[in-house]
Amino acid sequence: MKKLVIGAGAAALISSGAQAADKKIGATLSSLEFTFIAVMAKGMTDHAAKLPGVKLQLEDAKNDVANQLSQVQNFIASGVDAIIVNAVDTSATQAMTDAAAKAKIPLVYVNRQPINVDTLPDNQAFVASNEVDSGTLETKEICRILKDKGKGKGANVVVLVGELSNQAAVQRTKDVHDVIATPDCNFMKVVEEQTGGWKRDAGQDIVTNWISKGVKFDAIIANNDDMALGAINALKKAGISTKDIPVGGVDATQEALKAMQDGDLAVTVFQDAAGQGSGSIDTALKIAGGAKVDKKVYIPFRLVTPANIKDYLAKN
Amino acid sequence: MTDSSVAAMPGARSKRKAWPAELNALIGLIVIMILFEIIGWIVVDQSFLMNKLRLSIMITQVAVVGILAVGVTQVIISGGIDLSGGSIIGATAMIAMSFAQVGTNARAIFHAQGWVDLPIIIPIMVGLSVALICGLINGLLIAYVKLPPFIATLGMMVSARGVALWYTKGQPISFPTESFMAIGDGLMPVWIFIAIAALFTLILKFTVYGRHTYAIGSNEASARMSGINVERHLMQVYVIAALLAGLAGLVLVARAQTAQAVFGTMNELDAIAMAVIGGVSLSGGRGSILGTALGMLIFGVIFSGFIFLSVDAYYQNMVKGAIIVGAVALDQWRQKRQAREV
Repeated sequence: MKKLVIGAGAAALISSGAQAADKKIGATLSSLEFTFIAVMAKGMTDHAAKLPGVKLQLEDAKNDVANQLSQVQNFIASGVDAIIVNAVDTSATQAMTDAAAKAKIPLVYVNRQPINVDTLPDNQAFVASNEVDSGTLETKEICRILKDKGKGKGANVVVLVGELSNQAAVQRTKDVHDVIATPDCNFMKVVEEQTGGWKRDAGQDIVTNWISKGVKFDAIIANNDDMALGAINALKKAGISTKDIPVGGVDATQEALKAMQDGDLAVTVFQDAAGQGSGSIDTALKIAGGAKVDKKVYIPFRLVTPANIKDYLAKN
Repeated sequence: MTDSSVAAMPGARSKRKAWPAELNALIGLIVIMILFEIIGWIVVDQSFLMNKLRLSIMITQVAVVGILAVGVTQVIISGGIDLSGGSIIGATAMIAMSFAQVGTNARAIFHAQGWVDLPIIIPIMVGLSVALICGLINGLLIAYVKLPPFIATLGMMVSARGVALWYTKGQPISFPTESFMAIGDGLMPVWIFIAIAALFTLILKFTVYGRHTYAIGSNEASARMSGINVERHLMQVYVIAALLAGLAGLVLVARAQTAQAVFGTMNELDAIAMAVIGGVSLSGGRGSILGTALGMLIFGVIFSGFIFLSVDAYYQNMVKGAIIVGAVALDQWRQKRQAREV
């Protein structure tokens, strides 16, 4: 009897071990050139390493749609248990969805929302932070700061937009305008808006150009931290105090947090890149294990200000 | 390559005083400036040009690519092309920055080794060494393995970007020392550009190096027959181009105060465009640093002008493309006309 139990236990161990070893996940990321994607990739590999028997194969699509599609087809051909896609082009995801659906392999989109998100088949999902939150949190905080400064009667803001082809840039910029359209914050007015392509030197150059034009503004809202840091450089060079002009960004990068500690950056928003990475793996494993998941799995954004910065210093 | 440059030769040697290509660029620059000035008064109600801060940012924002463009210009004059500059900027930026970090940053790449707060000369030498290696490989492949420059430097463009990405797996490198940041502070990039541009104007005009560069670009076969060591010379041309790309990378990271693997993307094309707008002939043998500098200024003026008028960046690229094509079309037409006059 005892022998039998041990035997059954061993069999169970072996079978679960074999089952776990079966879990091969193929992931293709848009481009490791972007810091955020790199942090996300690290979150994925770290998380996968902690899960026994889960094998993660990571590919860089190098910002090439065709590359990405063929990587997905290769994953399918090599019989992975789940596929994770961080889409190069969010409007070209249908082909990947179709390929995975045909092969009956679960597919999880991460970070970048696919255009077909509402028509995804049952074994596919989208893991990300709700992009609407980031620009909204940022702009609301700038709105609050301006009111605190007694500028609630009327304030000019300038906006630094990310890469024009990027959905996050479009959404965050729309958020700025949406918040300003609310009665609470409609004292704010966007007087200038330009794209700095996410880059710090471009952010600095654009703000310097605005200053040279004599644009009067009370706050700078940037789609990401790097452009915000560039804007801060430009203000300092022009002898304008960041105490007078609050600057906001998104991402909570190490340097942004440092700038916040120095009193230069007023607000940033933490998007949990590593959390999205590990979340995509968990979701992929859940679907592969036959569980039902929501079509959209959200990893929350968080507002970072000088008041709560301590919680985020070690996160990114 | 040689066939077309032979055809271009008589044009350059026209008996009548030729209309210098730089003049087109200068006229273009002035026309664009006046256009922005006039529209500025109508739309923004202020002067575009009578503004010290704007004039300085116009040049500062293009100075880094300008440094790269000086190196690219002498490559194009020698009858070649260099597509690798932007990626060399990326690789140099990343590796040099890792030796320029402050010790208070516990995440500094070489914190454990204690290689922090190093004197500024170390990151500069490291950066230039990276560029030197890239340049030597370019030169070897082109001069001795006889690969077409387009292919050899295309390979380097891809590989050097790979190095930039691999170095930290895509993570940016930040928190440089104060002394390192000084290279990119304020008008420093402009001074560096002016020094480099002046130096290479003199070199191309008055030295053996310059004469050989033009000779090889005009007609490689006859340059060889007249006793020029073409291989060794091309090696030097590509090494210098890479070193200037490395210098541009150093200035860029010091200015941005951060290094990212994407740095320099597309800069090689901007640099080539600046040269071409400035009248540097893609068939080799003709052009000058002055022309390239004018091309650079046109880029800077357009960038500032569009922000001045609050125009979307979309249109900026469209206009930039049209200017590049227009400049080359004008150059071709002029060449043909001069060829007829001989």
